[in-house]
Amino acid sequence: MKCEQYEELFAGWINGELTPAEREKLDQHLIGCAGCREELAAMQQIWDVMAEVKAPEPSANVRVKFQAMLDTYKESVQDQKSNWDGIKEQLSRLWQWQPRWPLAYSLAILLIGLGCGYLFFHTGKGAEQDQQLKELTSQVHELKQTMMLALLENPSASERIRGVSYTSEIKHADKEVIDALLATLNNDPNVNVRLSTLDALTHLANHQEVRQGLIQSIVQQDSPLMQSAIADVMLKLQEKRSVKPFKELLKQKNLDPGVKEKINQTITQLI
Amino acid sequence: MNSLTDNAIMLRVKDGDLDKMGLLFERYHRQLYGFLFHMTYHREVSEDMVQQVFYKMLRYRQTFTGSGQFIHWMYSIARNVLKDQGKRKQLQMQAGNAEQLADQLPGGITPEEQLEKKEARTGLYRAMEKLSDDHREILTLSRFQELKHQEIAQILNISEVAVKTRAHRALRELKNIYINAER
Repeated sequence: MKCEQYEELFAGWINGELTPAEREKLDQHLIGCAGCREELAAMQQIWDVMAEVKAPEPSANVRVKFQAMLDTYKESVQDQKSNWDGIKEQLSRLWQWQPRWPLAYSLAILLIGLGCGYLFFHTGKGAEQDQQLKELTSQVHELKQTMMLALLENPSASERIRGVSYTSEIKHADKEVIDALLATLNNDPNVNVRLSTLDALTHLANHQEVRQGLIQSIVQQDSPLMQSAIADVMLKLQEKRSVKPFKELLKQKNLDPGVKEKINQTITQLI
Repeated sequence: MNSLTDNAIMLRVKDGDLDKMGLLFERYHRQLYGFLFHMTYHREVSEDMVQQVFYKMLRYRQTFTGSGQFIHWMYSIARNVLKDQGKRKQLQMQAGNAEQLADQLPGGITPEEQLEKKEARTGLYRAMEKLSDDHREILTLSRFQELKHQEIAQILNISEVAVKTRAHRALRELKNIYINAER
């Protein structure tokens, strides 16, 4: 019976965690108790056998999988960071599912068309009808605009060009569209995208801010292609305010000789 | 970077420097694998669980307060993963699985030694498999993971006295199974 009090110390004895006092107490008991001595020795023996047993090493896969998991997790966290960024990214991901969006777009137009037809034939009188029609038209317009803006964020250059080309379908480009186009004109890494953007903006040149933006963009272009294209546009628009930035551009040392000549011609024609 | 404590690293992870989890992975994935291995005697399952534990530590990084030790937190998460897995898949250890594994592990230097060690190991695995989960867990933590009773108490969330009692009973049971099998 007495032995049970000491059993509590067994695990600590084997583990080497007993205080000197506890050890002393147990040793005292062991001297007089053969049963406990035997029990403890047997436990010590199996404890020693356990020392021989090591768990196997995990395979190298574990590290690879961990890194993949960490990367995926980091991406998902970044997605959540900014809602807006997330939405934009998801939109651009949607674009990569090529067949679906154009289909959705067509379906939306079809639905709106049906709605128009329904309104036209079945409801209300003149003023109300006009009002609803106007609303619908503006909705279509908005839809196109959203599509275009989303396309401009696409990582693929050809998709961005597609986005730019949508602007020809937008009749009244608002500030958001113009800003997006001007940003693309100045910052897009791909020269083809910038060229099509310039083309699209030329069609919108009746907007004062577009003209202003084009003029400001002259000094920002560093590709010879863009520089001569923008000179053509300015000549076409007969924009005299562009002379000053062109003269500034001429001061650049590494300017392409061909472009230099072209700009000089443009300036003489404009003045 | 090695001078940083586990807690300091984990607090950085909590603050959003997620890459730092890689350091903790390097430090602890083997140890964690060892624990899970003894709890399941299944290599692939253990590897998956290592993954899950690290995923949960990332996902629930905000719950790490830094008041306790990082590894205690890691073990509590590992225990939860084990519990979930047990519930979901009714993970039963297949009889003889541990024994087979014991055969595959590297042994001693001379052939005699190898044989002797293999026999001891096979016997031990066979006995370990027969223990209850609680008993196998406490022996794994104290013997294979070399944790102190006080640390085990924190991980299992029980008193230190309870740890000592349980450790003693587990060891006695293991000894009885082992000796009976030898006869």
